[in-house]
Parts: sequence; structure tokens; C-alpha cells
Amino acid sequence: MIRVDDLRKSYGSLKAVDGVTFDIQAGETFALLGPNGAGKTTTIHMMVGALKSDSGSISIDGATDPTRPVVRQKLGIAPQSLSLYEDLSAEENLQFFARIYGLHGPRLKERVDHALNFAGLADRRADHVKTYSGGMQRRLNLAAALVHEPKVLFLDEPTVGVDPQSRNYLFDNIEALKRAGCTILYTTHYMEEAERLCDRVAIMDHGKVLALDTVEGLISKFGGKSVILAQLDRPPTDPTRLPGRLDGLTLRIESEHPLEDVARLSSDGLRFTTLSIKRADLETVFLSLTGRTLRD
Amino acid sequence: MHAILTMALKDLRLLWRDRFGMFWVLVFPLLQALFFGAIFRGDGKDTAKMTIGVVDEDQSQSTQSFIKRLRDSSALSVEPPLDANGKPATPLTPDQARDMVRTGNLVAFVIVKKNTDENEGFTFAEMPKLEVGIDPSRKAEAGYLQGILTEASFKGLQDAFTNPAGMRERIEKASKQLDVGSGLSAPQRIVLKTFFTSLDQFLGSVDPKVYHEGPQAMGGANIQLVDITREKHGTDNSFEITFPSAMLWGVIGCTAGFAISLVTERRTGTLLRLRVAPLQRTQILAGKALACFLACSGVILLLLTVGHFVFGVRTTHPALLAMAIFSTAICFVGLTMLFATMGSTEQGVAGVGWAVMLVFAMIGGGMIPLIAMPQWMTVASNFSPVKWGIYSLEGAIWRGFSFAEMLQPCGILVAIGVICFAIGVQLIKRRET
Ligand SMILES: Nc1ncnc2c1ncn2[C@@H]1O[C@H](COP(=O)(O)OP(=O)(O)OP(=O)(O)O)[C@@H](O)[C@H]1O
Ligand SMILES: [Mg+2]
Repeated sequence: MIRVDDLRKSYGSLKAVDGVTFDIQAGETFALLGPNGAGKTTTIHMMVGALKSDSGSISIDGATDPTRPVVRQKLGIAPQSLSLYEDLSAEENLQFFARIYGLHGPRLKERVDHALNFAGLADRRADHVKTYSGGMQRRLNLAAALVHEPKVLFLDEPTVGVDPQSRNYLFDNIEALKRAGCTILYTTHYMEEAERLCDRVAIMDHGKVLALDTVEGLISKFGGKSVILAQLDRPPTDPTRLPGRLDGLTLRIESEHPLEDVARLSSDGLRFTTLSIKRADLETVFLSLTGRTLRD
Repeated sequence: MHAILTMALKDLRLLWRDRFGMFWVLVFPLLQALFFGAIFRGDGKDTAKMTIGVVDEDQSQSTQSFIKRLRDSSALSVEPPLDANGKPATPLTPDQARDMVRTGNLVAFVIVKKNTDENEGFTFAEMPKLEVGIDPSRKAEAGYLQGILTEASFKGLQDAFTNPAGMRERIEKASKQLDVGSGLSAPQRIVLKTFFTSLDQFLGSVDPKVYHEGPQAMGGANIQLVDITREKHGTDNSFEITFPSAMLWGVIGCTAGFAISLVTERRTGTLLRLRVAPLQRTQILAGKALACFLACSGVILLLLTVGHFVFGVRTTHPALLAMAIFSTAICFVGLTMLFATMGSTEQGVAGVGWAVMLVFAMIGGGMIPLIAMPQWMTVASNFSPVKWGIYSLEGAIWRGFSFAEMLQPCGILVAIGVICFAIGVQLIKRRET
């Protein structure tokens, strides 16, 4: 469906995007995960034809020039910054964006209503956007991207500045889009979002894709072992027989199969006051790839 | 075309909802039209110096001192200016003077006629004979000017009185004329002769200083007010002067608003949405241009409607008016595109845009009406699109321009518009990639 090959873009001496290659299957939700300044937005802007790449190629649904109107008709973008007319109402915004994609008549009305319901703004449709909360504006920013029913959606950090409740609402929205068969390119620096929503994840840093796989694949390749942290109720009779490291009453074990290890310790008669098993996640993957955490 | 219209309508709706923008587009221009219209409707005594052109056909001592008194008047600025020797640098011909009033370069002209003996008649002192023409739009000040001229004439008489020797000479001449006869009956002649004789004796015996007070109310000077509106239409409705400049203020408001709106769209990201939509870049810019064009013409039409129905601004030549409105709007659409590129923030564009526009307005008749401008400013105003906008509107409203005469200002406006548009679009294209 989408293929990006060796895409490059520099601003002066800064290589914002430095040889990015990936492809996205039809119907797939694909994440670009990376910290601030990784080059996610720059990549998206080149893919939708808003920014000229220095070199490299893009192919979307068989077409290599994303600026052609037939290609653009298939694309929708929810920009990272809220891109709405604040002095227009939600309905007027959606009508306007639908019209410039050539919608009119009953179909226009149907799509605008759909988008308003999608954003949960049907009852506030006539209010000016500047009177909305940040979360409502975010939802509308997303709805404006899909009002013309595009096949491919580019969502650039669609949950920035949104409380957990609104975020869950947005997640449900995006899952509904997935079920409807949309191909989605999703950028974020929240690994939980990538883990929950995305089929495959490309980890980006300094303009480069460092690793690309399913979440499971990335974790098993780069995440390392799970960590068991246990607090024992009394000192063990024979510390040398225990796996891992004992520090006072705290036992720390790195393990490929944490549940089985815990079961074995328990049947050996060990009792725990607290017990936690921390599975490796994309955060650990990022840490092991870059030596840094995602958000610092 | 459908998409362009959609975008234009969106922009107009946004403009309409922008209270601050609407103030500059409608409220401020209207206020200024009403304010200055009301001021100019008064007798104009509080306004700046009146620029008049003076032609001396007589070149006599007394006419020269008459003109000197006009030059000394604090209410007048007299053309042509004097050179180092106190002589007029380049004397005007009567036709030049008339023409300069007709074209709005002078408020009035004063031609001091040759004093021939036949029309001298019966006078104590040489009262200059004047032909005076005043700009039709300054009719209100005609009375004021007449007052100044009368005063200057009588100053001459007053001087004559303070020079009893010269005066007595004149009296002698006058009583001789009486003898030669001028259709006066014998008793009347006797009365006058007696009067002259006693006056002569009186002048001979009184200290000249007494006369310095001078006679105050001695009838009118010999002024013949000629009508110079015969070949050109004029206006005595001050609102016909202030409404065209108000219209240009409205257009300036639109220009500033739309120039800023392009930057706002870039900053908020809505421009990104437009650019990834199936639209050509030219369509996006055309949408903006159309909105700006409609707003500019709309505000002119609206002000014209108010001016027409409430203040009697004439719309006798709708075709010429349409021509003026069209070319003014085109010109300012072009300027809008150019201003939109003059900064990367709204404040930047607003700053540059307003600064340039204010200068244009200042020298172009947005503040001082074109017809009230001093000469140098009239020259400077040629560099201001505001001037050509006002001039074309005035041409259609009251200057009585023919189609051919409209071509000059309208052609200049369209040319400025097209050139600025082309430059602006090139700069925008370069920036967006
Ligand atoms: N117009 C520009 N001019 C100069 N540098 C730019 C420009 N746009 C982006 N950059 C630089 O390119 C790099 C990548 O920016 P980009 O916006 O793609 O990052 P991002 O991954 O989207 O980050 P974020 O999570 O903060 O949105 C950054 O270092 C940024 O400073
Ligand atoms: Mg970004």
C-alpha cells in the first residue's frame, strides 16, 4: 500500500530525516515511535506531499507523486498542531474541509454528521471551535482528517495534551477506523499507544529508523528478559540456592519465563510480602537501542 | 472554481467574525467619513492654509502691495513662491492658474486684472479688480477667501488714508472728474464737491496717525467670482470628499486582514490541510484573492450605499464607479499578496502592512483630502496606490471624469495590483517548499 524508500531531508547541516525506509500493508496500523525531534513529522509531511524531500522515493497505492489530486483524495492528515478555524463552528470546519475534497449535497451532510458523531461533538456542532476544551479540539482535529473518507490516514501525535479519558475515547475512535479498514500511519512518543494500537512499530531517533517490527518482535529482539522483584517475608534458609540477586530481603531475578520461575520458588516454600513481574516493553527496547529513555 | 469559491466564502465568514478586523474594515472608515465630512462642512476657518495661485496682470505698485498683503496673510499660502529677490519665481499665466484649480492642485486662483481707466470710475484708492475661482469642493471656504481679499483691498485704502498728501491728490483728481461730468445732476455734483472740499481741508489739518485705525466696513472689494465648474463637475457636498477616502480605509483594513490571514493559516496548520487537499496551489491563492477582492469591493459598495442614501453621495455614473471599484479592489488584492510575504508571524505582517499602508494613506489622501493637499504632497501622492483609488472614485462620483479620463487612475491601479500579485505569489511559492 505504502512504500517509503531511503527518504532524506536536511535543514542546513541538520539531518531531520536521514534515510528512512519502511512499507505499510493495506489495513495496517503502523507507528513511528520516537522522541521529540526524531523526524516523525518531517517524514509525514514528505509523505503527504507538503514538503519536498531531498532524495528518496514514496509510493502510495501505486502512485509515486503524492501531490497528484487523485492521490490526495485518498489521504487524510490530522496535523500535530490543531489545524482548525477557531472562529468557525465544528460543523462549519467539517463542511469546509469536506467541500474542498469535492463533497456536496446529501453525501456532504451524511459525512459531516458522521464525523461530528465520531468526535462526540454532535451536540456542540454549532459552537465556535475556540470555545472547546483541548480534548474536544483534538477530537475535531482528527474528525477533520477523515470527513472525506480517506483510505490512508496520517495521525501525527493525535493524543497530545489530552487527559486519560479523552485519550481512551480517541483510542476507541482509532480502533473503529482500523476495523473499517483504514490504513493508518500513527506517530507518537508514548510507547503505550504504539503497543495498544499498532500492528507494527518503527522506532525512530535522529532521523533514522533504528528498528522495525511488531511490538512482540521488537520486545523479544531488543527488550531483554522480564524482571521479577520479590520481597521475602523472612531471610531464606539457603540464599545460594536462589536464582537472581538477593539484597537483604529483596530478590531480583531476570527471566525469560517469569511465571514459571515464580511458581517454582513458591513450591520451594518461599513466601512473598510483595511480588512484581515487569515484562520488557518498548521503553526497554528504546533504552537498549539508544541508551536513553523515550522521554527525557 | 467551486473549490475557490468555497475557500473565499470561508475567508469572508472568518473576516465577518473577526470583530477587531471588522472595526478597521467598516467602523473606522465610516467614522472617519462622518467625522471629517462634518468638519469640512463647516466654514473651514480652522483648517490649514489655503493654497491659492495669484496672477498679476496689472503689475502696478498698488497691485503688488495688494499681493504682498495676501502673501503676508496667515490663512493663505500663495503660489508661485518668491525667489531671493522677492519676485515670483515663475509667474503663472491666468490659464495655468485656472487649470491648477481645476485639477485640484490649488484651492483657488486670484487674477489681478489690468486696471484700465475706463473701468476705474470713481474711486478714492486703487481697488484691485480681481477674478477669483475656487475649487468647487471648497465652496464652503469661498466666503472666507472673499473676506481675506476684501480685507487686503481695504488695507490699501487704509494706507492711502495714512498718506494724506497722496490722498489729497486723488481727491483733487476725483473732483475734476466730477466736473467733466458723469451723468450726475447739478445738485448732486454740488453736494459731492462740498464734501470733497471739506474732506480735503480735513485731511490737511489732521495728524495722519489718527487714520491708522482705518475704516472697517466700507462695502465690498471689487471682486468678481467666476464659476470654474463649467467644464468640470464639482461637489459642494463634503461627504463626497470624505467617503472616497473612507472607502480606501476600508480597503486598507481588508488588505491588512487578509495579508494576516495567510500567515495565520500557515501558523495554525490549516494551510497544511489545504495544501494536502486535492487543490492546486494556485487555487488556494486564488481563493484568498477572490475573498479579498469581494471584501474590498463589498466594503466600498457598502460605504457607497450609506453615503448615497444618507449623505447624498452621487452615483450618477454606475459604470465608471464599477470601473473604479474594480480596479481599486484589484490593486489592493495584489498588495495583500505582497504584504502576506513580508513576515513570518502575524505581528510581523501586521506591522509591516500597517506601516506601509499608513504612509500610503497619509500621502495618498486618506488623511488630508487630495484637493486640500499642498503642492509637494500632491506630487508625493502619485506614489501611493491610495491616491489612485481615491482619485478614481472621485472621478466617478464628482470629478465628472470621462471614460478616457478614468483610464489613467484605473490603469495605474490594475498595473500595481498585477505586479504586486505576481511578486507576492512568487515569494509565497518559494517559501512554501
Ligand atoms: N522548518 C524547519 N526548519 C529547520 N529545522 C526544522 C524544520 N522543521 C523541522 N526541523 C528540525 O527537524 C528535526 C525533526 O523535526 P520533526 O518535527 O520532524 O520531529 P518530530 O519527530 O515530529 O518531533 P516532535 O515529537 O517534537 O513532534 C528537528 O530537529 C527540528 O528542529
Ligand atoms: Mg512532530
